[in-house]
Amino acid sequence: MPKNDHYVIIGNGPAGNAAADTLRASDKLARISIISDEMFTFYYRHRLPEFLTGALDADALTVRPYTVYKDNNVRMRLGQCVERIDPADKTLYLKHMEKVHYTKLLIATGGRAFTPPHLAPFRDSLCFMTRYTDALQLKPRIQDAQSILILGGDLISLNVQQQLLKAKKTVYFALNPDSFWPLKLTPEMAARIQKSLEKKGVASCVAGDIQDIACKKNGKLEVTLDSKCAFTVDLVGCFMGLTPNIEFILGSGIDTERGVLVDDRLRTNFPDVYACGDCAQIYNPALKDYWVSVGWHNAELQGRTAALNILGDTKVIKPLKQGVLEVEGLKVNTSWWKKF
Amino acid sequence: MKEKRLYLRNEEEKFEGTAYARQVVRDIRFSTDARDFGYIAENIPCQDACPVYTNIPGYIRCIFENRNGRSYELNRMVNILPGVLGRICSRPCEARCRHGESDLGEPVKICHLKRAAADHKHAGHRISENLFAPSGKTVAVIGSGPSGLGAAHDLAALGHKVALYESMPRPGGMLMYGIPEFRLPRDLLMLEISNILRLGVDLHSGVAAGRDISLKDLLKKYDAVVLTTGTLSPNDLGIPGESLPGVLSGLDFMMRVNQGETPDVGERVAIIGDGFTAMDCARTCMRFGAREVTVNIRKTEEFMPVDEHEIFEAKFEKVKIIGLVNSVRILGKDRVEGIVFERNRLEFSRTGAGRDTVPIGNSEFEVPCDTVIAAIGQNPATDFNDVKFKLDGHRIFTKNGTHATSVKNLFAAGDCNTGASTVIASIAQGRGCAHEVDALFAGRKRKTMLVRFEPAEQTDRQRAWDFIPPVPMPAADRSERLADYRNEVEQGFTPEQALEESKRCYLCYLKYEINVDRCIYCFACIDVAPRDCIKMIHDVAIKPSGAYGDFMQTRDWTDVRAIAIDNKRCIRCGKCYEVCPTQCIHIIKTELIEQDLEA
Ligand SMILES: Cc1cc2nc3c(=O)[nH]c(=O)nc-3n(C[C@H](O)[C@H](O)[C@H](O)COP(=O)(O)OP(=O)(O)OC[C@H]3O[C@@H](n4cnc5c(N)ncnc54)[C@H](O)[C@@H]3O)c2cc1C
Ligand SMILES: Cc1cc2nc3c(=O)[nH]c(=O)nc-3n(C[C@H](O)[C@H](O)[C@H](O)COP(=O)(O)OP(=O)(O)OC[C@H]3O[C@@H](n4cnc5c(N)ncnc54)[C@H](O)[C@@H]3O)c2cc1C
Ligand code: SF4
Ligand code: SF4
Repeated sequence: MPKNDHYVIIGNGPAGNAAADTLRASDKLARISIISDEMFTFYYRHRLPEFLTGALDADALTVRPYTVYKDNNVRMRLGQCVERIDPADKTLYLKHMEKVHYTKLLIATGGRAFTPPHLAPFRDSLCFMTRYTDALQLKPRIQDAQSILILGGDLISLNVQQQLLKAKKTVYFALNPDSFWPLKLTPEMAARIQKSLEKKGVASCVAGDIQDIACKKNGKLEVTLDSKCAFTVDLVGCFMGLTPNIEFILGSGIDTERGVLVDDRLRTNFPDVYACGDCAQIYNPALKDYWVSVGWHNAELQGRTAALNILGDTKVIKPLKQGVLEVEGLKVNTSWWKKF
Repeated sequence: MKEKRLYLRNEEEKFEGTAYARQVVRDIRFSTDARDFGYIAENIPCQDACPVYTNIPGYIRCIFENRNGRSYELNRMVNILPGVLGRICSRPCEARCRHGESDLGEPVKICHLKRAAADHKHAGHRISENLFAPSGKTVAVIGSGPSGLGAAHDLAALGHKVALYESMPRPGGMLMYGIPEFRLPRDLLMLEISNILRLGVDLHSGVAAGRDISLKDLLKKYDAVVLTTGTLSPNDLGIPGESLPGVLSGLDFMMRVNQGETPDVGERVAIIGDGFTAMDCARTCMRFGAREVTVNIRKTEEFMPVDEHEIFEAKFEKVKIIGLVNSVRILGKDRVEGIVFERNRLEFSRTGAGRDTVPIGNSEFEVPCDTVIAAIGQNPATDFNDVKFKLDGHRIFTKNGTHATSVKNLFAAGDCNTGASTVIASIAQGRGCAHEVDALFAGRKRKTMLVRFEPAEQTDRQRAWDFIPPVPMPAADRSERLADYRNEVEQGFTPEQALEESKRCYLCYLKYEINVDRCIYCFACIDVAPRDCIKMIHDVAIKPSGAYGDFMQTRDWTDVRAIAIDNKRCIRCGKCYEVCPTQCIHIIKTELIEQDLEA
């Protein structure tokens, strides 16, 4: 007998897909929908830097073809943005004025490039890249650009810098000393990264925060740092960590802080609403802090766990065994970031 | 109570104003009908949310017409300090602006426009006042904050002689000594205060009631005394280490700074609290050389009582907000060296919408710092030695819905009566109290609220204007802000920016109404409507309060009594008006106004 359950997953990243697979494996009959505001099917975000410089073509980004969803009887709604949630009524409001009812909801909306508020006035002069469409738009500009300044505040910035060097661009790197996700850099650590990057071919790597960006007549950008260093470049890429996509949840009654607040079973404060992946924030007793874990590995694991709990299990997210990641001569302890 | 059905069917019922499908307004008309007040509350949401009921669409339209002086006066009629509020108001109106409904974009920048009218009015602008004949009565107002100024202004305008006592050297209360200068320039504040004092209000500054002059004597000397003494007694944290040097109260800190001191706060400051005072302390510390300033709050940003904009500006200046923490103890030997917090989690409060915080066991952590500022609220100081009045908790007790205290001829208004609130709520309190004192003297009410109707034409608003994004407020860059405490952060809209922003307002005071007698049920209006704003109804409910209730929709033709415009959904685009073949759609300007009963 067909059941009336409708599992709705917002977000088509590793968290959402791992959840959909787990749900379908245990419940052959329920309706499962994935809603994503992106037009592209499930893809490898970590390959975007290579796509950006032309080292990879778009096909190499895809994790799995669209037909898989058809075979699994998972309804994929691409290019549809959830604008509001009414958890009391178990209804989602989509931007194109459609309402979608759910019996269980999983929020897996990931994150997007964070702009530190003090850089907001320069937003129009900065480039960001977290999605396929960002990379697509940026690609021709990168091709035309000769010199690029990277505002480096996270692991992604290092990945992008590497690809740009491979593409024979002149790369400058401004290392953010105050916050370098996921580490708090000491001056010694910063110095090691600086040295390592310069050895690999970065034209200049300095520590500092943006003071001013002026657009010159010839289209070049003149960037001044608070350390009084100045660079004249064609593009400035901003990689200062990711911030959870939760704006559409504000005001719904679902609690958020930096991300969607969930307990160790990935439940929000509303029954039947769960969150996982880059958008979820969980209290971590080992760190004595609430933590948004960013990374592919973490997203998949949380997606699976959330799905099991949606199906009635009581699986708890435990802090993973820490792995060690080598970053520019530093050892970073992380369990959530995957080295591809 | 259930809604009393029926409005359209009750043909006998007498009524004053305009109403759905029942009567067309062809000339100027006034109403005191509960239905019409109810209509205003629901249909001009911004005005209803404003504690002094500012005619917001009215003043925004004036800005569009480049009548900034008139716009300023529309504000000043009810809000005696428009230039001040245009900078620092808590903006309850914007939270309810129709333009901010989920599918309509973002609220109109009502407050920035208020400032624009004040900034761009003619240099020789004349203020207007409706002055009543002198009554021979005298009133002492104690405290010259927004509530004291509101009370003094209205009492003076109503013809009474007012003496305004203020313990500090300058008038203004928290406007002068709480709110920092980088948000509110003092010359502008003094200009608007002097417009109140000009009505013949005698300011006695540096005189504290209960200390320099006895309240008993004041009660003897004046026909009435109004207490508007605010909340000047800060709450303690109640945790170990609080008496260490380097632990400050937020209110004291701001008052010292605003009297010209430049306290040394060190490099790292931890602020505890989530209100206006906490945010102002944080931003002030940034200007006094601190490098790392955190605002530590028990819940999350979503529950902070300050508006988003305030949070953004603080973050722009690199203040960090740390959510879900409780202060546990302050560390240090001879002065503050650090503070211990524990983490909280949120739980639904028993009452429903709010949240309670529950500390998480074994979650304590330590943060090194040089200064701790506690800004966790304040209470009224209510000890006047020789006169005892009833209290309601820490606040001055007033009789149900009035400003009368337990002592004859002694009134209370503003924060000392309501607890810490906002500037605009305090002005409303002070003015309300003035009218109560006036009614006591006159033996009757001399002013009242009315709904005014006037037939109107289709405006020149264009549909494209509904899609204009909010105009951002020009602001000083970071280095300019940090260079001097007095440098105003927000620079104000230029006239062009104000014009652009004014176009965004739907002008909700326009009421669109279909005259059923002439409607031929062609549906042309429904076809062009941008939303579900026009409905087939069989009746309109009436609420227990007497206001209109919901439209009762029907699809059954035999039951349709009218096609009616739901003005709660209407965005005043005028498309229906344009297409109606029988021109049966009327536009009526509907305003809530204050009227002299004797005029
Ligand atoms: C350039 C780059 C390089 C990276 N490199 C690595 C790496 O080397 N190693 C590693 O471990 N991790 C890496 N990451 C991080 C990793 O990709 C993320 O941690 C992971 O994708 C998170 O998965 P998720 O499912 O939680 O969210 P996401 O993959 O971000 O997916 C969320 C989806 O939800 C959609 N969405 C958001 N809001 C809405 C809405 N309102 N309505 C509908 N849809 C919505 C988004 O558009 C998005 O498609 C990288 C990320 C980037 C951007
Ligand atoms: C730092 C700070 C920032 C704020 N920012 C905002 C904001 O941005 N927007 C907003 O809407 N609200 C803000 N508020 C709140 C707002 O200022 C108050 O709600 C409002 O000022 C209260 O008005 P009031 O007239 O009741 O009292 P107050 O403004 O406190 O005025 C009371 C006056 O009475 C005087 N007084 C007290 N006792 C005596 C006595 N015995 N004799 C004579 N005089 C006496 C005091 O000196 C004072 O001048 C802020 C408050 C603070 C502290
Ligand atoms: S659109 Fe204009 S009139 Fe309507 S609620 Fe907003 S500010 Fe008020
Ligand atoms: S003016 Fe007419 S068509 Fe336009 S929103 Fe209002 S009722 Fe609808």
